[in-house]
Amino acid sequence: MIGFLGMSHLGLVSAAGAAAKGFDVVGFDDDVARVQRLRAGELPVVEPGLPELVADVGDRLTFTSDAQRLGDCELLYVAVDVPTAPDDTSDPAPVEDLLRRTAEIAAPGACVVVLSQVEPGFTRAFCELVQRDGRTLHYQVETLIFGRAVQRTLEPERFIVGCADPAAPLPRALRAHLAAYACPVLQMRYESAELSKIAINAFLVSTISTTNTLAELCERIGAHWDEIAPALRLDARIGPAAYLTPGLGIGGSNLSRDLAAIDRLARRHGTDAGLVAAWRTHAAHRVDWPLAVLQEQLLAHVGDPRVALWGLSYKENTQSTRNSPGVRLAGILARAGIDVTAHDPEAEAVPCSAVSLRRVAGALEACADADALVIATPWPAFRDVAPAAIAAALRGRLVVDPYGVLDADGCRAAGLSHARLGAPLPENQLC
Amino acid sequence: MLTHARDTAAPARTVVVGCRGFVGSAVLARLGELGWPAAGVSSDDVDLTADGAGGALAGRLREDDAVVFVSALTPDRGKDAATLERNVRMARHVAEALIERPVAQLVNIGSDAVYDEDANPVREGSCASPSSLHGAMHLVREVVLTDACRIAGVPLVLLRPSLLFGPGDTHNGYGPNRFVRMALAGETIKLFGEGEEQRDHVFIEDVARVVAEVLGRGSSGELNVATGSSTSFRAAAEIAVELAGGDAAVAGSPRQNPITHRHFDTAAIQVAFPGFAWTPLREGIERMVAQEC
Repeated sequence: MIGFLGMSHLGLVSAAGAAAKGFDVVGFDDDVARVQRLRAGELPVVEPGLPELVADVGDRLTFTSDAQRLGDCELLYVAVDVPTAPDDTSDPAPVEDLLRRTAEIAAPGACVVVLSQVEPGFTRAFCELVQRDGRTLHYQVETLIFGRAVQRTLEPERFIVGCADPAAPLPRALRAHLAAYACPVLQMRYESAELSKIAINAFLVSTISTTNTLAELCERIGAHWDEIAPALRLDARIGPAAYLTPGLGIGGSNLSRDLAAIDRLARRHGTDAGLVAAWRTHAAHRVDWPLAVLQEQLLAHVGDPRVALWGLSYKENTQSTRNSPGVRLAGILARAGIDVTAHDPEAEAVPCSAVSLRRVAGALEACADADALVIATPWPAFRDVAPAAIAAALRGRLVVDPYGVLDADGCRAAGLSHARLGAPLPENQLC
Repeated sequence: MLTHARDTAAPARTVVVGCRGFVGSAVLARLGELGWPAAGVSSDDVDLTADGAGGALAGRLREDDAVVFVSALTPDRGKDAATLERNVRMARHVAEALIERPVAQLVNIGSDAVYDEDANPVREGSCASPSSLHGAMHLVREVVLTDACRIAGVPLVLLRPSLLFGPGDTHNGYGPNRFVRMALAGETIKLFGEGEEQRDHVFIEDVARVVAEVLGRGSSGELNVATGSSTSFRAAAEIAVELAGGDAAVAGSPRQNPITHRHFDTAAIQVAFPGFAWTPLREGIERMVAQEC
């Protein structure tokens, strides 16, 4: 039996994935109410495909708040999500707490794996505590992506496993579990594995930042990033899956957290992380792109403007509003007394209490009598809204659509002024 | 970045130190338009370069005052170290006044000259590494005032305007003001090189409006005052000639220095004051022409 500790996003998806591969799995969480909801089929996170996966695995996945049940497991994953503060520092306390408890509960000979993301040096510090009575301690890199977590869990590209001794064979239970996914397993020392996770995100950020830098240039010189990106994807050194879609900064909290971690490590060890500082500065610069467009094309020209906002989650298919450009924009506008009406498909589940704004259930309802529409999150459902319907609902013509959710030609045909990242900005119709 | 303390409300009283200058008089005029209580302090009232000026200024302040400090010896009155020293002394006396008589807010109007010449786009977090004594002076004044405000517990706004232009400017420096006057006089406007350098030209009344915004919101923090749109000196000169309506010419000259541009990332001011409408360069020059005529 495999145990997963911490039934939030990472732990729940990973546990369901292991069950889908045929293992008996127990998901543990201290929160009794959460466990009861899980038993009733109520999932605490929004993740495409997860409800179906949990239903499919049936009794192979059970939930408990009784820690003693973990004593039956040969393999135990500490998989609690690590909270991140607004300054992008992580608090490893929940992982530390679960590791200490696991060290007391785990059966002799059990294999304990840290799946939660931790900074280099974390796992080795717990070796002495955990590796008693034949138990082993490993660190496994998680590559969860909000909105694509199920697919990433069931079809990983590879496993990266940090070990006390990289030359020693993995424990039987861990080896058997990983083999079920039929992908390469890379063993390395703890510190290398811990830094691998950060390295992966740093390389993603470098691509995103390069894309954003060039997309901004496109907007000023008449080039169109949509025409350039396919050429880059066909370059084998860049690749078809490269992050070449312009965005509002670098997205959610995980990437920001890892950049902060590199910065912190570099300061501590005296290495040069000026590149990371540049990425962070540029991300901050781009996150307010919708505001800059609104300012140029609307706010400076219209008294008492009204803005419709689609999307409050930081990306599609997730509830999370951490680092959400939509929430940020709504806050800035609302504090300036500008009327904002927002819609999000997951509005009931998106905590947004920090921002005072009117929220409505329908996308077109949000547009009613607004001077401009901002599409801050590329939810798939937004693609289904006809530009003509938007034009009919708005009193203004401006659509700020950073991700190009709407068809640009369709918007123009409907008489809308469509602004998106990486494309020349439309003529200001108010000047 | 700015932090606002409140929704817009008039300060109990605003004291403009340096009220007779180009910027100070524009700020007083703006406060007058708003009907906000204001008082001016000029060098006739308190000579900030003189010994004991700190106490003299403190005697004119009340604890619920907001103070706008804009008094300075501008580059046309000296670009040497002695001028820097006198300007820093003025700031030292303002600092002494604040410590003796803490006020509700201090707004210091400095300059974008504090930044590295190569900082592009310039943002509030850009490296402050001035290349001129004028820029160094503003940076030292900021540090002196920051320290005093920390000691006195006074909220501080550091405004760093880009190049200013508009009616009432007595400096006649290279830029729209001089171009307008030369165009109206029918003189040839001689550019440095071909006037390729792009700068963010800010209309004087816009600066005054930004000052009123930070006063009204009881703000604190740093903010560049720039429109986000940079224009070459040649383009500015050609607009001046066109709007002046005469037959003045615009001519280049052999280039003595490499071309440098300055652009601003204006995200911070957009976030601080969404909807703030800048006066376009053309409109500002048009108003200058009307005033000068």
